[in-house]
Parts: sequence; C-alpha cells; structure tokens
Amino acid sequence: MTKEDLQVALSRITKESSYSVYAAASNILDRLDPTESKMPVLKVVILRNFTVDPLIPVIKGEIASAGFYPVIYLGGYDTIAQEVFDPQSAQYMAQPGLVLISQWLEVLAPALATRFPSLSSSQVNDEIDRVLNMISQFITALRQHTNVPIVVNNFLLPCHSAFGILDVQSEQYQTHAILRLNLELLRCLKKIRDVYLIDYMSLMARIGSEQGVDERYWQIGRAPVGRNALIPLGQEYGKFVRALYGKARKCLVLDCDNVLWGGILGEEDLNNIKLGTAFPGSCYQSFQREILNLHDRGVILALCSKNNEPDVLEVLQNHPDMLLREENFSTWQINWDDKASNLMRIAQELNIGLDSIVFVDDSQFECDLVRERLPQVAVVQLSSDPLTFSAALNAKAYFDTLVFSEEDKNRNQMYRDQRIRKNLNASAGSIEEYLTSLEMVAQIGLVDDASIARVAQLTQKTNQFNLTTRRYSEGDIRLMQPSDADIFYLKLSDRVSDMGLVGVAIVKYSGQQAEVDTFLLSCRVLGRRVEEAFLAHILYYAKACRNCRSVLGCYYATKKNQQVADFYGRMGFRLAGKTELKCDWEFALGEKEFLTPSCINVNVVDSKEG
Amino acid sequence: MKISEDKLKQVLADVFGVDVKTINDTTSVDTVAEWDSLRHLNLVLALEQQFNIVFSGEQTVQILSYPLIKIVLEEHGVDFICVNDR
Repeated sequence: MTKEDLQVALSRITKESSYSVYAAASNILDRLDPTESKMPVLKVVILRNFTVDPLIPVIKGEIASAGFYPVIYLGGYDTIAQEVFDPQSAQYMAQPGLVLISQWLEVLAPALATRFPSLSSSQVNDEIDRVLNMISQFITALRQHTNVPIVVNNFLLPCHSAFGILDVQSEQYQTHAILRLNLELLRCLKKIRDVYLIDYMSLMARIGSEQGVDERYWQIGRAPVGRNALIPLGQEYGKFVRALYGKARKCLVLDCDNVLWGGILGEEDLNNIKLGTAFPGSCYQSFQREILNLHDRGVILALCSKNNEPDVLEVLQNHPDMLLREENFSTWQINWDDKASNLMRIAQELNIGLDSIVFVDDSQFECDLVRERLPQVAVVQLSSDPLTFSAALNAKAYFDTLVFSEEDKNRNQMYRDQRIRKNLNASAGSIEEYLTSLEMVAQIGLVDDASIARVAQLTQKTNQFNLTTRRYSEGDIRLMQPSDADIFYLKLSDRVSDMGLVGVAIVKYSGQQAEVDTFLLSCRVLGRRVEEAFLAHILYYAKACRNCRSVLGCYYATKKNQQVADFYGRMGFRLAGKTELKCDWEFALGEKEFLTPSCINVNVVDSKEG
Repeated sequence: MKISEDKLKQVLADVFGVDVKTINDTTSVDTVAEWDSLRHLNLVLALEQQFNIVFSGEQTVQILSYPLIKIVLEEHGVDFICVNDR
C-alpha cells in the first residue's frame, strides 16, 4: 500500500460518506507504514464498556482526513477501571494524542437504563452519584498517566421512557433523571482540565434513537451503535481531533449571486433580487443568519464574486432585507478575475493560509476550478435550492473549536481595523513612519490563569510565524515548572484597536543557558516589528532575571513557516547547526545588546520583576 | 432495486481490504482470511447502509458467503443484473 492508495481512499470519503468507503480507508491504513504515509502519527486510546469496534474504521478515516496517521489502542470490553488503575497501563498510555472514554448507560448503570420503575427516588440519586463518582475517578486516575485531552460521552435519553407519558411529568422519573445525570456529568468534568464532552444525547436525537441504536447487534455482540449513527458519530469524534490539533478553519469566503440572494445582480434590478421575509427570499435570509452566527463565533467573512464592485456594495449598504452588511466582511474581491487568484489575494491580505479557507459557491465551474488549483481550500458547492444551504455549510463543522475567547468575539472588528490601518499606511511616507504613527503598545507578561487558555489556543492554531510549531494543551502548559521555564505572552494595542493576546514564547532554562522552546505570533500582527520587541524582552529577561549567558533558538521547518526560516539570523543569532528540517541558532548575551524597536512601547507586567 | 453485482463485490472488497477481482461465488468466511467476527459486523453494517435495507437478527448471522449474501439481499428486493446481460 502506498501514500497514493490512501489519498484515493480519502478522496472517496469526501465524495460519498458510506461505511464501506471508511472500511476501505481503514484497511489501507493498516497496511501502510506510518513513515510511508508522511503524516504525523496521532495515537488514540479508546477505553470503553461496549463494542465500539464498528466505529473504529470511521474514526480512523476521519483522523486520516484531518492529516494524521491514526494509531488506535483499544481497551478491553468493559475494563476501563482495570486499565486506568493498573500501573502497567502507563506504558500504552505513554504520550497518546487523545483519550476517548465511551460508555453505554445500559452497562454502566443497568437499573437506571432498563429497570427504572424498580428504583426508589433515593436509589435513583444513589445510582447517579455512583456513575458520576466512577467517571470522576477514571479521569483523575488517567490524569496520573497522561496530560492529553480526554473526550467523554454523555448518555442517551431512552427510546421509550420507563413510565410512558407519565415519565416526563415528574423530575423523579427516568427522562429527567438522565438529563440530570448529563448535566451533573458536565459539572463534574469541568473540574478537571482538558476534558471534553461528546454529545451522544443530541447526536442520537438528531438521527433518532430508533434509527441510531441497533437492537440486533446489542443482543448479538453488545454493539449498540446502529448503521445510521456510525458515520455521524465517528465524524463527531473527527471534529474533536480537528479542533484540538489545529485543523479548524478560520475564514468563510462567499460568492454573492444565488448564494446570499436569489438572482444575478448584473441582470436584475437591485429591488428584484430574491431576498426578504417571504418565501423564497426568506431562505436566503435564513442562510445569512447562519453566516452571521459564524461571524459572531469569530469566523472571518469575505466575499469573492464575479460582479461589478459598486453593484454588490450597493446591495450590502442599501438593500432593506440584507442581514449581512458591509461591516461584517473583513475583505472582498469583487471583480472579473478567476476565483482561484482572488482567493489567493484574500489569503494574502488576511495573512492566513489557504487551508484556513472555506469557499462557498453555487457554480460547478468555479468550485471545480478552486478544487483543481487550490486543493488546500475546502469547497462547499451549493445546489440551486436555497433550503439546503445551511445544512451544506454546517455539515462538515469546518469552524468548530473548543475555545471561545474575547479575541474570537472581536475578530471581524479587528480585520476591519486592519483595513483602516492600511489607509494610514498609504498616507505615511516610510514604513518606519507608518509603524510609529500606529502608536503601538506591547504588554508582555508571564502566563496566568486569565491568559492560559488563549496561550494554549495560540500554540495549537498558529502556523506561519511559529518557529517550532509545538502544540500544547492547557494541561501541558500548567505542567511546565516556573523553576526551569518561563511562559511569556504578548498583548498588543495601537491607536486603532486592542488586538488582545497575540504572542507566546516559552523559554526553558538549564544552567546558564536558555532555550526558546516556542516563539510565535498571531498572523494578524506580522510586519510590525513586534517580534523584535518580544525577542528583546526574552533576551533581556534571560540575562537579567535568569543569569543566562546564551540563548539557543531553533527553527523546525514545516510546510507553512518558511517566512521565519531566517528569523534568528536576521535578529543577529549565530548559526550553530543545520539539517534539512532544523536549524539551531545561538545568541551570546554578554557580547551584544538587543534593542527594542523605537516604534513599539513595551509595558512589562511581571510580578517577579516587581 | 436493480443493481450490478460489481457494486456488491466492491462492498466486500472494501470491508475485507482485498482486491475486488478476488470476490466471486466461492468467497466465504472459510476462504477469506480477513473475514473475522468483527469484520463480519462491519460487513453487515456496510451492506445495510449501501442497499438501504435492514437484515433480521437471524439473517445477520446467516450471511457467511457471497452466494448467501446475494440470496438474502434478493429476499430484500435487491435485483442483481448480470454484467453479461447488458
């Protein structure tokens, strides 16, 4: 089996999500050497109390589609306790990428699930407490072995509740007991870092428990997940992998005609396009509402349309039924050039990779062109029926993440501010004048509880200005000891806006030597010499507060970080070693001074320095 | 539902990870090394999804060879067209 066989199998998955296609990809993966696949390995430990085996081909296919070579360790049937409490398990738990705990209520608490009417209300509460305690203990024990994210499922509501129509009338009965269990489970997991819930309950409700649960294989082999649920459930796990390992997309680029409204602007009068509160114009409004929700979740919006720019802007500014307005878009390319070139311009302007973009269009021609020329871009091809638009956009959950920060909330505002800056740029004579005119203030400090989530998020998401591309979870960062490591953040504001936390540096010390383990900046602040101010502070800190004599920096090449290949060189570091994928650089602290650029005002908020 | 046998053979080939050309009337649990109990479960799920049918509990444990699969699928109204007929 070769890498090409795998690519063929994975492209079959994108075209038809059938179970046999996932099975085929899974079989190829089994026979393909991980190194031959050229993909980083992602080890997933699955601990379970039911037969999850049929799900595994789907989970593997999803992980491979996300760009990782899946290695699955499957725990024994209903042996979670044995495995998490057994000291031997430390071996297989060694550095997995993800732990999944999958439990079925019928096995975990049979009385609650199948003999509810036999329980008194105090017995019900005892059972709920017992289940919660057990899951808490599992996770606490797991945390002894491993620091990686853990994904735990909640429980399905019964297909037929224990007391029939009476059941839902009282909190005492089965429906509310399970809802209570699910809510308490969330509260209990929230106390432990990096543990996430996978929502079996809502997923099965969407599919329909009668369709999603397979009684035959429950009876034959304790495999309850039915054929209609296997793929959606496996894909749901895939979403966690994408969100946790930096594969979530950031920017939605939309076509206009027959996407945001019905009809073609060049052919219709502005007032004749289909858009409004009555059918069919209401379908386009629904789709716009869906897009606004993504906007509010921090997805960058852009337009790419073959039209005359003034015509489109006229609709954005003046059409009474438009919900999306000019200010919702960070940028646009409205012209008659081909869309692949326009998408490249958008990526360049926003400073994001093409693989951060989702492109939505109704034209087969445009979609095929983009698929062909820019395979990194995710393409959503809409049908001619606007009723299907929202489902098509949401199907792949391209933008799903597990963090929602202040920065996300204000992202589009930030890119709009970026446009204002660009206008300032045009009026400034030199780049130095321009940067000075921005009146930048950088605030540098050591990570604390308030900043740790965003710091972890940046290590997971940043690809371009990232010297080592080491991904850390919140838990990993908490484990780094202040005695031999410092984790710096940088926040930036200027006269236009506050950009929030945009830089992270992790420095590890041993003796009189410091090593920069991580140095990264969010793409939205590149080209402003912020990196110099940040590095200057790190060097100063290593010398003044850590008594170091030299600082090592290294560059690990990835597909996306070429722009920083020579960063340390430009900053005056000496090349100390070089291989194809890695460069080591060194800076002798006694010998030279490293100055903060004058265009940035640095404000140090560091309790250690007083 | 009229379908070609190739479609059915492809499902077996995908699930067992073997070349589609090796699937024929002699294919059974005894001749395919990869056909173990877990892959059998995968096969049942893949067939049900592909042909949009539901096997009875009995049928899921009966379909242990290619000819038996065809017979049970025909009972569910799947109509195989022979490639030679076309």
